[in-house]
Amino acid sequence: MSKNWNIGRRTFLRGAAGALVPLPFLNLMEAGAESKNLAGEAKPPLRFVTLFKPNGVHPPSWNINGGSENDFRMSPLMAPFAKHKDDLLILDNMGDFGFSSHSNSTRRFLSGHHSNRKSASVDQLIADKICGSTAHRSLELTTEGLFTNQIDCSYISYDHKGNRIPRESDPQLMFDRLFRSPMRDPKQRQKISSLLDKVTADAKTLQRKAGREDRETLEEYFTVVRETEQRLQNMAPLAGSPQVDFSSLVRPEGSANLNEQVNAMLDIIAMALWTDSTRCITYMLGNSNSRMIFDFLGIKKQHHYLSHFFRNFSRSNIDSLLKISLWHMEKFDYLLTKLKSYKDHNGSLLDHSVVLFGSGMGHSDNHTAQRIPIVLAGKGGGMLKTGRYLRYSKNQELSRLHLTLLQKFEVEAESFANSSTPLPGLDGGAFEEYRERPFESWVKVGNGKITVQGRLRMSDNLDEAKVFYIDVKDKQSVRIEVGFGDFHSFNLAYHVGTPITLTGNSNERSGRLILTKVTELKSVFGKSKPGKANG
Amino acid sequence: MVGNEVLAAELQSFMRPFSLSLMFPAWLLGAAHGFELEVRPILDRSCLKCHGGEKVKGKVDFSRIKTDADADSQFELWETVAEMITEGEMPPEDEPQLSEAEKKTILDWYQGRLAAPVEARPGTFQPRRLSGPEYRNTLHSLFGFELNVAVAEAQQTAAGERSLVMKLLPPDPPGASGFINDTHGARLSSVIWDQYSHLSDAALEQLFSRKGREQLGTLTAASLSETWTTADFTRAQAEILIRNFVPRAFRRLVPEAQLSKIVSALEGKNGRALVEATKFELKAVLMSPAFFYRGLLMGGVPGKQQSVDAFELAERLSYFLWEDRPDDELMSLAVKGTLSDPQVVEGQVERMLQAPGARSLAESFGVQWLGLASLDQMVKEPIRNHALTSQPVDFLNYLFTEERPVMEIIDSKITFVNQGTSGFYGQDRQRMKRYASTKGIERQTTLNQRLTLEHAQWRGGILTMPGVLSMNRGPIQRGTWMLRRILGVKLGEPPADVPAIKPSPRGKNLSFRERFAMHRADASCARCHEKIDPLGFSLGAYDASGRFTAVSTGRKGSPPIDTSGQLPTGENFKDFAELKAILLTSQRETIVRNFVERTLSYALCRKLLRRDQPTVNEITKNICEGEGTWRSLFCQVANSLPFRETIIGKEREE
Repeated sequence: MSKNWNIGRRTFLRGAAGALVPLPFLNLMEAGAESKNLAGEAKPPLRFVTLFKPNGVHPPSWNINGGSENDFRMSPLMAPFAKHKDDLLILDNMGDFGFSSHSNSTRRFLSGHHSNRKSASVDQLIADKICGSTAHRSLELTTEGLFTNQIDCSYISYDHKGNRIPRESDPQLMFDRLFRSPMRDPKQRQKISSLLDKVTADAKTLQRKAGREDRETLEEYFTVVRETEQRLQNMAPLAGSPQVDFSSLVRPEGSANLNEQVNAMLDIIAMALWTDSTRCITYMLGNSNSRMIFDFLGIKKQHHYLSHFFRNFSRSNIDSLLKISLWHMEKFDYLLTKLKSYKDHNGSLLDHSVVLFGSGMGHSDNHTAQRIPIVLAGKGGGMLKTGRYLRYSKNQELSRLHLTLLQKFEVEAESFANSSTPLPGLDGGAFEEYRERPFESWVKVGNGKITVQGRLRMSDNLDEAKVFYIDVKDKQSVRIEVGFGDFHSFNLAYHVGTPITLTGNSNERSGRLILTKVTELKSVFGKSKPGKANG
Repeated sequence: MVGNEVLAAELQSFMRPFSLSLMFPAWLLGAAHGFELEVRPILDRSCLKCHGGEKVKGKVDFSRIKTDADADSQFELWETVAEMITEGEMPPEDEPQLSEAEKKTILDWYQGRLAAPVEARPGTFQPRRLSGPEYRNTLHSLFGFELNVAVAEAQQTAAGERSLVMKLLPPDPPGASGFINDTHGARLSSVIWDQYSHLSDAALEQLFSRKGREQLGTLTAASLSETWTTADFTRAQAEILIRNFVPRAFRRLVPEAQLSKIVSALEGKNGRALVEATKFELKAVLMSPAFFYRGLLMGGVPGKQQSVDAFELAERLSYFLWEDRPDDELMSLAVKGTLSDPQVVEGQVERMLQAPGARSLAESFGVQWLGLASLDQMVKEPIRNHALTSQPVDFLNYLFTEERPVMEIIDSKITFVNQGTSGFYGQDRQRMKRYASTKGIERQTTLNQRLTLEHAQWRGGILTMPGVLSMNRGPIQRGTWMLRRILGVKLGEPPADVPAIKPSPRGKNLSFRERFAMHRADASCARCHEKIDPLGFSLGAYDASGRFTAVSTGRKGSPPIDTSGQLPTGENFKDFAELKAILLTSQRETIVRNFVERTLSYALCRKLLRRDQPTVNEITKNICEGEGTWRSLFCQVANSLPFRETIIGKEREE
């Protein structure tokens, strides 16, 4: 068999983005990939991917309530990626005490704590460890331009001095950098190499005359020159190792909207990982505080405005917010599906990856830092035991998760940000699980009246965001279908996830009990009438 | 560890009999020898372990600061120290902490010195990387052509970024000064390196292509005929090219030895091989740190305050006013050494403001200062976006380059209007020239026309331009913007747990303003909102898209819009017109000071320091007392001490 994988079969998948990526490219590899990867290493390399969702979540539709580690029901917002349940590790009760600004929550996402401003973010530390001899140590990607007023909202990756790492957003440029680099061309390589020698020699004569500040600048310059030399080496074809013919990859077309842009970038991410061009990628689906307008979903209001769903409350605003949130979840699904579709050694690309998906804050209206949405996907070559839901008994700082990830990736670290004890349970080990106070569930009907007690939840179908259910043990759950007045004045969304006793008028449709008008709502454990500001 | 603690304890007991806080009242500590007597002992005890002597973490070395004079000369260091102590970031958590009394001593001393008059001193010399626009313009003026994105692709991108440089380079984040030319925090990365390399190749490729024939002719001082090909390239031409190109790229005279070394590398080569070798040498120049960093080649005496050299001054002027390298006239003045004359500098500023490059003042300085780029997030539709953005930019360009008084930014009879904005100008639009429409094109961007306001008086100045109004929606955003950008007031971030503005109580139909007054009843909110709200609500007669509605017509059924207010300084106004009058009179000095600070900060590419205050004071005074034009402001900045002088950092003692 030829050492070169020449992708002859040009069967292309026209993705939603119009990006042309040869699909069979993926599975052609099986035959050649018994035990060696592209770099000729025996073990499949580990990858670390981060996907950041801006503007927190709408907790009633995101949170999983009830259930246990191995027996849980995914929330309505998780529906788009529910099919990957076996590859997921859903973490709950992650976060910090109190509230968080957008900037702080963005910094926290990969740096553990917003005050951790002098160290690299966790992705960079992992990149150092796992990058091996890949052409690109790591990629830092985004969808949006800089928010110059609150600059930290635009970055999740930070270098070893705590400086922001510039991000890239154009799929075409990314494609060129990965698959059209002149560094892969033998003739160009020769030229680049001599240029690097020349500029180094020239700059050294400057160094001799330089004062302190100049010398620091030159230091920065020489570091990049060295990195470039290293990359040049890494891009050299290894003798005897198979080569991927990148020329058959088709450059994505310009994107007409955000959806196309993100799909194209996710295609490139998967391709970059699979070709082992890089092993560590962070991708922001938007800046925190994102004011993006999702016109391709038919939404005219800005995301950040909608994310304050309580203070800017209206039915149509909630519908719009949930549509946007579902879109984010679909992108997570898109990435996972892509990673699974690529065969990598004796498994899929996802099997040898850890994907961290989540946001910087929990409740997007009041900016709580508790119950931050965090999902890990992929087994990471066996470091994670997936298919589980871990709801910790107490709030766990994100830095504990980061520390665990560092250690799992074999980065030497005794502490990270505020934490020096890792987060237990990710590999299947013991952890202290959240215990709910037990409550009874029942339903009484008669005379057109109904009283039902049980856990309130949103409809799984987010198109009917105003419909709720109360689950009753051993019985069909009761559907709550009330008018706007009841919905608003009893603040049903606030009680989602908790047990309540609800009384009202009843109705029945094809055997299912329906509560059509609320006369009384009592919370079993909490306040029945929350303050307005608490959403 | 133990040894240190013992030492510290000894020091403490040694100090106790001399404890000065008993002998000197606190107010004196600030002014007197507070540093040597009170602050240094604390630093010696708690900080020296990591910041001085053997270890020097984070470049902070307290062992070198011995006297009060030393301490005063490093004031920006104390700003950081005060911040670190206040935030509790230093000493680090795992080290012994400062006592409350110690913290207070340091902070009191700092406050005392802060209030004391300070001597004007320039900043420490810092090389810095060219910003994206600076790099684009420098490459452009060096080669004589602009590198553009292929047309087909430019049409695809909604934003329509035509410049290949701007498309390829990651956007620069604003530095501590708020301006992107303050690139101190935006380090060179391998991504940027690759793009520089790609752009250099593209420019050199074009220079030797048919398209670049004319520019190549200019740079080689030869008239290249129609039939000329690269095979005809001669070594003599190559030598002229190099002697023309290299000093321009490095923005200063280059030693003959260095030039002839480059030329000699071409020896023995002819035709296409010579072209390749020349490209290689020129690329090495473009990839040299001396090209894409500013200031690496400036000479001077370490550790001393001194004038920047003539080439550095030329470069400062050209990047300030043009975002570009110095042109031949500036270079020749630098060679002659006459730039040290303030009169000459003034003449140059006047000349430069007349040149097309001066538009960068509006497009970069103005746009970044006023945050006009946020319009891109608010208005996506390209033609509308262009109309709303180009209006304030053209207006600023007019003020900056046509000798207009600085305060005309607040109120002016002149505005710039095109088809997208003319609807806001009532009867005045009738005096506009008609736009010729292109056949088959239904909507297109059109150039702005200068318009003198006779009717729409409420539109004068930048504050009521539709773009500025629709960029900041609602009274709070508008008030905050005016406060920060125009009056130069520094507001902290709002707390993260701000409750929502409460709805009207049942049965009452309160306006947003009345509901907001309830919010302001909270003292912690009032601290900022008593400043923000009156400014913001004064613009209530302008709706979200910037349209002017008569004050009496509120929304249906709601009371008329109340645009009156009172500033924290006591002035009352009934509507925005009256507020504007206040801004132009009693707030004038505050506003001028802000203009001066922003301009100086942009010119110096750094955050202002305490030692810049005397300069700011002096220029503010001059502007307030005279006619106070933008041109005069730019001249005074260009002749100011921090612009013309510098302190070169000492060589680290190894």
